Amino acid sequence: MTVNTVRAAAIASPATRKGPKRWYHHATGRQAALINVLLTIGAVTMLVPFVWMVLTSLKSPAELAQFPPTVLPQEWMFSNYAATLDAAPFGTYFRNSLIIASTHTIITIALGSLAGYALARVYFRGREAIFLAFVAMLMIPTYTKIVPQFLLVKFMPLFGGNDIFGQGGIGWLNSWWALIIPGGLSASAIFLFRQFYLSLPKDLEEAARLDGLGEFRIYAQIYTPLIKPAIATVGLLTFQDSWNNFLWPLLVTTSADLRVIQVGLAVFQQLDNTQWQYLMAGTTMATVPMVLLFIFAQKYFIQGFTNAGIK
Amino acid sequence: MEVKSRMRRTASVAMVALMGLGLVACSAGGSDTPLDPDEVSGEISLLTPIFEGSPGQDLLEDELLPKFYEEYPNVKVNVDYTTYGNLNEKLTTAVVSGLVPDVMLMGVGWVEGFASKNVLADLGELGLSESSLKEKYTDAIVDAGTWDGKVYAVPIMLDTRFGVARMDILKEAGYDSPPSSWEELIEIAEATTVRSSSGKLERAGFDMLSLDARQAFETMLFSAGGDIFNDDDTEPTFNGPEGVAALGLMSDLINKYKVEDIGFTSTDDIVNPLINGRAAMGIAHNNLWSQTLAADPTVIDNLEPFLIQGEAPGMFFGGTLATVAKNSKSPQAARALLEFLSSPEAALAANEQRGNVPALTELLDSDYVQSNRFVQFAMENLDVAKREGGPAKWLEVRGDVAPAVQSALLGQSTPEKALDDLAGLVQSAIDR
Repeated sequence: MTVNTVRAAAIASPATRKGPKRWYHHATGRQAALINVLLTIGAVTMLVPFVWMVLTSLKSPAELAQFPPTVLPQEWMFSNYAATLDAAPFGTYFRNSLIIASTHTIITIALGSLAGYALARVYFRGREAIFLAFVAMLMIPTYTKIVPQFLLVKFMPLFGGNDIFGQGGIGWLNSWWALIIPGGLSASAIFLFRQFYLSLPKDLEEAARLDGLGEFRIYAQIYTPLIKPAIATVGLLTFQDSWNNFLWPLLVTTSADLRVIQVGLAVFQQLDNTQWQYLMAGTTMATVPMVLLFIFAQKYFIQGFTNAGIK
Repeated sequence: MEVKSRMRRTASVAMVALMGLGLVACSAGGSDTPLDPDEVSGEISLLTPIFEGSPGQDLLEDELLPKFYEEYPNVKVNVDYTTYGNLNEKLTTAVVSGLVPDVMLMGVGWVEGFASKNVLADLGELGLSESSLKEKYTDAIVDAGTWDGKVYAVPIMLDTRFGVARMDILKEAGYDSPPSSWEELIEIAEATTVRSSSGKLERAGFDMLSLDARQAFETMLFSAGGDIFNDDDTEPTFNGPEGVAALGLMSDLINKYKVEDIGFTSTDDIVNPLINGRAAMGIAHNNLWSQTLAADPTVIDNLEPFLIQGEAPGMFFGGTLATVAKNSKSPQAARALLEFLSSPEAALAANEQRGNVPALTELLDSDYVQSNRFVQFAMENLDVAKREGGPAKWLEVRGDVAPAVQSALLGQSTPEKALDDLAGLVQSAIDR
């Protein structure tokens, strides 16, 4: 009952009201046609690489060698997909990528939202300094973090034959720990969650406190249900980042059983020779989960981007 | 502490063993010390940028390694597959964490850097001698695995670059053979270049842009009779008169003779322009043969390899070499694997799988080499081929070569200035 009262207040609050209609919602005649033409050009521009990828995946090497290139395959080589699957253990790679990306997403949503909530809504000494530290972390290029992160993983105490001082073994290397923990939470996710929590009105918190709710229930039952767009946005971005990760899984694993989909795709790009038909077939298959995920979450995803001001 | 003492113990044992081996090697007068399979044991790791994908993995794990285990039943090999694109990161993280694989396959030009960091074992101390290697390989190939007078690597396969001509196009233009000098190269390239009435390039007379700019320049530099570094690898010499002439020719072919336009081809092209007739001649990798067989076998007989002849015959070679980690806990097992991978049977199978050039001279007569005209041509001319690399800092600076070459090709800089600026960068890296 208490929670419902607060939710009612939230619904009535300005933060959840729909904004004023933009000028393009009222466009008619020539103006509307122009907008549609521009949007169509934009959509086609976005679609062309994707369509090219799919069509290339269905061409033979002989057809790919032709100049000028053909648009539609003269012979639809669906066998390229079977050949691609035979070229590397893609079943294992898909499974591994799915496990890693899903786990990263769950960890990020669970812990990132908690951290974001704390930084946005809980007052404590040093909060701003911690937030600035997170912002500073956003500026560190990934490549510069690889060696220190690798050493942390290798010298992880009491794992992989290591003693309490992290010596003597391989630590988390060549294990699921190395694949999941270091990439489990990012500063950007915490930053995004903080921005979303900040945009919610304080009245809700006050009302909830008056109703006797504790901090965790305010986080879990009052504020978090109101930031579904943020959850969708951060979730999708995390899943996508994790799904596309190539270098880290390659570095921290030595066993083919722990390799991921992007490592599998690299098989087709040898030195001085790329097998484009197989690379595109593999990329098409690797894209499917991302496309499906986006289709299911696009409503919240777009809303989240708009609210966060990410364009 | 425990690790350190264990390392010290291992190092002491290894030192005694190596000293013994060294004495045996010396007493053998420079020939290899044979291994006793019954006494070689241990679990070792192999890091490889070749044998990737299911076909490569099947070849290594289902065909080659079982044969190795037959010979060395007490050795177990754990394979870590990577790609050349990320080999440097893989090796760097391995080195800083102290988990260096026992056997590492790496490229020509890489050995010096890792040997200078004390990562690689001196194969002479493990019982392999330079003189015995020179009986099996050409001197330049053996040199690719040496640094500071010691042997650190044994070659498995080579990647070569040389000139290739589409003879059907050349014959149409009235030429019966590929060019035998720079002057002929310019003449034939001009004669075979085709532009539309609007001036748009339809066929390049000589393609240099579908190849990495660094390797294209190096091939032309060798053709000019130049070298990348001086004899003791302490100074760059690519900015000497030969280098300026080579880059000048490349720039002239584009900007003066107009036989190719910037952007007409690129390293990312789906297919080499020699296959689909968008170029009459070009610098190409030896695997153009297998690419052509896959894409359009009908043109295979029209492809003719040639050495780009200037002041010297120009041919470039890179390749993959096998090395052993200095801190390997099973150095003899690692040496056994290195010798196995570079043996005729294993090397031939690996080369055949990738369409590459075997480094072993004796494989020239193999069916594979005799059936692949580009590989055969490369092997027949290995005595004139030159490689990149030399100084320990080569891996750090080689990425700067392509932008310098491109700035000259784009006319943003003169060949002389581009190469002098680059030489300055390289020299400061060597001096650091």
